[in-house]
Order: sequence, then structure tokens, then C-alpha cells
Amino acid sequence: MNILEAKKIHKSYGNKLNKQEVLKGLDISIEEGEFVSIMGASGSGKTTLLNVLSSIDKISNGTISIDGQEISGMKEKMLAEFRKNHLGFIFQEYNLLDTLTVKENILLPLSITKTPTREAFQKFDAVAKELGIHDVKDKYPNEISGGQKQRTSAARAFIHEPSIIFADEPTGALDSKSASDLLNKLSDMNKKHNATIIMVTHDPVAASYCSRVIFIKDGQIYTQLNKGDETRQTFFKDIMKTQGVLGGVQNEH
Amino acid sequence: MSINQLIFRNLKKNLKNYYLYVFALVFSASLYFAFVTLQYDPAMDKAEGSIKGAASIRAASILLVAIVSIFLLYANSIFIKRRSKEIGLFQLIGMTKNRIFRILSAENLILYFCSVFMGIFIGFAFSKLIIMILFKITGVQAIATLQFSFLPFIQTLIVFSVIYLFIMLMNYAFIKRQTILSLFRVTSLTEGKVKKVSIAEMIIGIFGIILIISGYIVSSKLFDGAFMEMSELFMAMIFILASVIIGTYLFYKGSVSFIFNIVRKKKNGYLNINEVLSLSSIMFRMKSNAILLTIITTVSALAIGLLSLSYIAYYSAEKMAVSSIPNDFSLTDKKDAEAFKQALSASNIAYDEEKIEVLQTNVNAKNILEKNLGAVTFDANNMVLSVISEKSVKGINLAKDETLFSGYSSILEKVMPLKDSGKVEWKGKHEVIPQTYMGLNDESILPYYVTDGGMPVAIVDDAIFNRLKKDIDPKIQKIFSVHYGIDIEDDAKIPEANETFKKMKFNEEHIQESQLETFDHQKKNMGLMMFIVGFLGLTFLITSGCILYFKQMDESENEKPNYTILRKLGFTQGDLLRGIQAKQVFNFGIPLVVGLLHSYFAVQSGWFLFGTEVWTPMIIVMVLYTALYSIFGILSVLHYKKVIKDSL
Repeated sequence: MNILEAKKIHKSYGNKLNKQEVLKGLDISIEEGEFVSIMGASGSGKTTLLNVLSSIDKISNGTISIDGQEISGMKEKMLAEFRKNHLGFIFQEYNLLDTLTVKENILLPLSITKTPTREAFQKFDAVAKELGIHDVKDKYPNEISGGQKQRTSAARAFIHEPSIIFADEPTGALDSKSASDLLNKLSDMNKKHNATIIMVTHDPVAASYCSRVIFIKDGQIYTQLNKGDETRQTFFKDIMKTQGVLGGVQNEH
Repeated sequence: MSINQLIFRNLKKNLKNYYLYVFALVFSASLYFAFVTLQYDPAMDKAEGSIKGAASIRAASILLVAIVSIFLLYANSIFIKRRSKEIGLFQLIGMTKNRIFRILSAENLILYFCSVFMGIFIGFAFSKLIIMILFKITGVQAIATLQFSFLPFIQTLIVFSVIYLFIMLMNYAFIKRQTILSLFRVTSLTEGKVKKVSIAEMIIGIFGIILIISGYIVSSKLFDGAFMEMSELFMAMIFILASVIIGTYLFYKGSVSFIFNIVRKKKNGYLNINEVLSLSSIMFRMKSNAILLTIITTVSALAIGLLSLSYIAYYSAEKMAVSSIPNDFSLTDKKDAEAFKQALSASNIAYDEEKIEVLQTNVNAKNILEKNLGAVTFDANNMVLSVISEKSVKGINLAKDETLFSGYSSILEKVMPLKDSGKVEWKGKHEVIPQTYMGLNDESILPYYVTDGGMPVAIVDDAIFNRLKKDIDPKIQKIFSVHYGIDIEDDAKIPEANETFKKMKFNEEHIQESQLETFDHQKKNMGLMMFIVGFLGLTFLITSGCILYFKQMDESENEKPNYTILRKLGFTQGDLLRGIQAKQVFNFGIPLVVGLLHSYFAVQSGWFLFGTEVWTPMIIVMVLYTALYSIFGILSVLHYKKVIKDSL
């Protein structure tokens, strides 16, 4: 069953005179339980794509539906409502609130949905233990390492069991050890809880943890790779090859 | 883009951000100009009365300059920090620091002096209104004329130019000190790092609250007779000031975060949106702004306190006049009284006459004193009181052994409270007459010069009065023994009678008083005080409100990324705005409530020195202050609304 379906999405910035088209009629569908990554060079539109898919940005044309609900036509208030129940986010800059402790940060999404306190604490304990940040729960973000911050951010995304988790360059600011730690945890969560994760990245290593990689170029889908039964190493090589073909500047004739 | 264009663009952009700064500047410039104009205005002489009008207005204008310059320097320090990125960028593209300084100065020059000139113009236009307000509250009958004089204009210009120079000096020092790197970082460095609440902080917090409370307790005992000597009283006042101010500082430094931390601990990490936005940010921000908040609180407490006291004095002017001169006119000499009565009859003014014989007699009142005052101030065994016969007062009939007191000033009532009943002894020269004290009537019967400024008058049975009269001690008698009170039957004719009274040629050695005259005099003095304190208070209100607003503007910029996160998580703009409202209730409410409390205790400890009525004037002042102050809180919420809307 497709959990996310985007049809012919267009996105352009600027006014009539000076229009910059970033997304040019993309079609994407993602099934429940998939771990998908979106790759592309800078300026290819991958972050814009993530933003429109996650309802943070509005599309100019086309339709997006998540869990059978069309979000492209929703009003701001409905969208906020939708985000709090169905979506989770992980960002490159962690996006934790500095004035809140780790625990308080993680519990935020539950406080929006007014989950009962007992249930909230149970969920917190489970997810924090799984991501290995239970020990630092009373620390403030500036007292913990980058990897711990990103896992806190991940815990916040997972805690309310959303339909889809969007991750924007989650490993971008991490060293390789913390990055592989995080990616392992993410794919664990994906397998164990059947969580759908869409991740934007330009790091082929990070992408190799996924089950499918979508390549974007100039606002359109260039190609896709499926991991299938391959090992991570061979999948990584495939990704590298595709990226090699994809990269580079077009020859001017 | 040329440098000039750059300056103008910056100006246009800044004007939108800093409209409150411009407003505060315009307001203070216009007020200063109006004050200086008043100082040079010949019409002011009429409002002078016994207080030197021009002198007190000059003092007020100096205070005004002090407040305004502190405000402008502080506001500027916030603004320049906000623009550090821009300055860094200019440096990055190769401008010299001097050049950047010149650009900023030029920009400031235009903004600043446009506001000052606008302020002077408005001040000129409103100085007539201001002088009319002054005349209205002091009750002076004069026509306010509008005239532009050059001297005040020059003075205002010079004063504000000097402040401008200081601002520029500050900017220069700021730019000189910074490197490109630090300029880019400055905003993140200014706010304190988030730290855990330590035990030391808890102790500081508790200690702060204890200090404030002990200051309040001492203040409520200040005039209760606990401190009798001047030096003791002075020490007590110093103690109150010090403990309350230090306590306030520690309160902001520790108590606020301590209390909030307890609330937060109880939540065990599960915070709702209101708590996320208010609790956490106030906990950390209040601490780093402790000094600023202490200053704002102390001065608003001062402003509210002084406003209340001067309004109490003004409000009670009429009652004070009535209690100190109970009759419309009071005289002590028979000839004077006859002459005045004739004059009144001649101008067809109907009147009632009251003639009261007064004795000064020693009394042993030790028994009816609420407190033992010791022998420091006076001897309770040998108090001198004015005694009159029951016949002099209508509707009072006493038995032979009864004494009734009437009329007691609020100051003495506070310092030397009396019991409801007890025994007193009248001591003539030879004989001692024991009596039963029947209590105290509110009504004052004799003018202040008979009662030594507010001591009660004793009413005794006529027979006793005659016995005392035969046995008087000549040494303690006043130069007069009879009080002539004249009341005008028709109230509308009192002013006319007063004119007649003023024209009379009385014997200079005797005392003659007119109630209306006393009232006018009181009103004039208190009116001028209230006028000055009122405008100064308003200036302070506006400047401190602006400072809090600018702080919030700054904070909203810093917290914008947080709003982005929260909105991505699914909080609506409405959710966030409700949280912000809660936060602003604390941010603006805590200094206000603490300031109100301080001023409440200050007023309670000494209001009776100023008037007879405390609640109505104090509440009016407090409500007005709160209402005006809230405007800034509302403006800051509106600003936040914009920031939240832009954050996603």
C-alpha cells in the first residue's frame, strides 16, 4: 500500500517576470515501511522536494497525498494538525530547543497531541533506550555530543509513531562513527517498527543504508535504484556509479 | 548603490523596526522642550506659590534628561548589537571601521535629529496644553499663551546633541572593539548559556525573598513608634531601601528561576506549549537581565509611590483644609471678628458665628495611650490639650466625670494611637480632676493653630470647664483664649467673602485664617508637585516600557528558529501565540507586580504624612500605571505574532 503519493508536483519561486522552477512535474510514490533516500547535487531540488512532501512548503501545482489524505489543498491549521499526528522530522542542525532538556525535547510531540502522562513516559522510556540516550535525558542540548543530539532529534521524530519520518541530511553534521551509529539505529527502527523514512542526503554511505534511492536532477527524477537482495557494499558501489554519471556539468555544445 | 543610498535604505528599514524608539525620543524631546519653555515662561510665576515653581521644574527637567539619556544609551546598545552582522558584512567587503562609523553616524543623525525636531515642534504645540493642564490642577486662573522663545529651543538642542555625542562615542567604541568574526557571533554570545539551577542559586533565591519581606515588615513598622529617634528612623529607612533593592536583584537572579524550576521539576519533562515558551525562556533570560529588571522595578516602584503620594496629598487637599480650618473663616481677636462681620453684612453675605472659649490644660493621658512611648518625645503625664465646654459644641451632653476628645490628625493617630476608653486626669494649677475618657470623635472643631497641628480637642462638662478655668496655669496659655469661627450660609458666596477677607486690614499680631485660602494654597503646591511627578512618571513609564519591548524584540529574533521547529512539529500559530501571551504576562507582569508591591508598602508606611485618604488615590494611580504599561506588553505580543508568522 502506498503511504505517500505525489503526482506531477511543480514548485516555482519568484514572481511572473522572474520565475525559477525548482520542481518540474515529479511523480513519487512510497510504500509503507520503506526507507527511501533522495539524492542529487546541490540545487537539484532535493530539499525543496522534502519540504513540499512534508507540507512545510506549498506546491505550485500537482497533488500530494499521505495516508490517503490529500495535503496539497489543506489550510495552514489543518496542516499543523496533520503534521502533529502523521509526520516526524529529523534535521541536519538537530533543531532541538536549547532551553529544554533532552527529555523535554523528546516529549514535545506528545504534548501537542495531549497524550496521557503515563503513556507518554512509557513511550519515552522505550524510544530513549532504543536510541541509547536514556542516560542523558536530564541534560541540556549544549551539554551533549552531536551524535547524541541527532539521536535525540530522531527520538523526537519517532516517539509519536508517525506515518512518515522526514530526515533532511541527518548525518550532515556528524563524524563518521556517530553517522553510522545513527543510520544503524534508523534502519533498526525501520525494520522493527515498520516505520517509513524518507531521507535527503548527498552522502552515498548514508544512502546505502536505504532500501531504495531516488536520484533527482534539475527538478526531475533521473533514476532510481533498488537495493533488493544486494549487500550494503555492492549497493554502495551502485550508488557511487550512478552518482558519477549524474554529476558534472552539462557540456555546452 | 552609493553610500548615500545605503544610508537611506537602512533608515527606511529601521524606521519600521524602531518606531517605538522614535516615539520615545519624540516624546521625551517634546516633554523636555515643554518643561524648559515653562521654566522661562513668565506665566509660571503665578503657579509658583510658596514652592519655587521654576526651580522645581528645572530640577524635574534635569531628572528628565538623566532618565532619557540612560534610556537612549541603553536602547542604542541593543540596536547596535542587532546590527553587528551588517557591520561585519561591511567590514568583509573592505570598508574601514571609520567609514562604517561614519555611515552609522549619518544614519543615526538623520533619525535622531528628525525625531528631536519633531519632538520640539510637538512640544511647542503642546506646551500650551501642558501649561493649561498645570493651571487646571493648580487652580491658577491665568490665560495660557503660546509663544515660541528661542532660549528653550537652543537649550533642548544642546542637551540632545550632547546625548547624541555620547551615543556616537558608544558606537565608536563598539565598532573599534570588534573583529569581523566576533561581529558575526555577537548575538549568540550576549545571552547567557543555559545552565542547570544550582543549590547556590536556590539559596540566593530564598535569601532574596526573605530580604524583600523583611524590608516590607520594617516599612510597616516605620512610624509605629518602634523607631523613635531621628537617627534610628533614618537607619531603618536605609535598611528598607537596601534590603528591598538587593532582595529584588536576588529575586530576579535566583528566585524566579528557582520557582520556575520547581514547577518544571513537577512536570517531569512533560511540558505543554505554554510552559515550553514561557517557563524555560524566562528561567534563563531573567537571570541575565537581573540588573536591568531591578532598575526598572525600583524606578517604577518609585514612580508609582511618588505619584500615589502626591495624588494622595492633592486628593486630600480639601479634607486637610477642612480639618485644619474647620470654619470658613477663623479669627482669634474680637476686634478683627467684629470688623469682618461688619464687612460681611455690608456686602450682604449671610453668616453664622461661632464663639468658643479655649483653655490650655495639662492632662495625664498615660492611661489611654495605646503604646508606651517612653519619655523621649514628650511626657504623657503632662500633655497640654485644648479644653472646651460641652456648650460650645452642638448636640453633645456630658456627665460631670466625662471627657470626650474630638478631631485627631491622621499622622498623630498613627504615631500615638489612643484607646477607646480609660481614665484621664486634668491637672489645673492646684487641683487634679479625674475623668472618664469617652472616646474620640472624628470631627475637628478648632483650627490647627489652637490644637498644635492636630492634637485632639477635649470636651468637658460645663461645670468642670468653669472649675478648670478658675485654676488655669498662665504659663501654658496661648495668646488668645477665644476662637471666633465664621461660616458663610450660602456656599456660593464663599469666594466673595474670601475677597472681603483678603481686603480686611487685620491686626498683624493676631491669627486669621480662611479655609478657602488654605485649600487653594495646598492645591497649588500639591498640584505643581503632582504635575511634575506625573510627567516624570509618564516619561519613565514610556522609557522602561520601551526598553522591555526592545528586549523582547531582540529575544523574538533569537527565538525565531525555535518557532520554526515548533511549527514543523505541528504546533499552530495560535498555539504558539497563546504560549507567547503567557510568556509576556510573566515578562511584563513580574516587574510590574514587584514594582506595585514595593510601592504599595512604601505608600502604606508613610501616606498619613501626606493626606487623609489613601485607597482611592493609590488605586487610581496603580490602575492607570498598569493600563499604560500593559500597552507595551500588547505591542510586544503583536511583534511576536509577526515573527511567528514569518518563521515557517
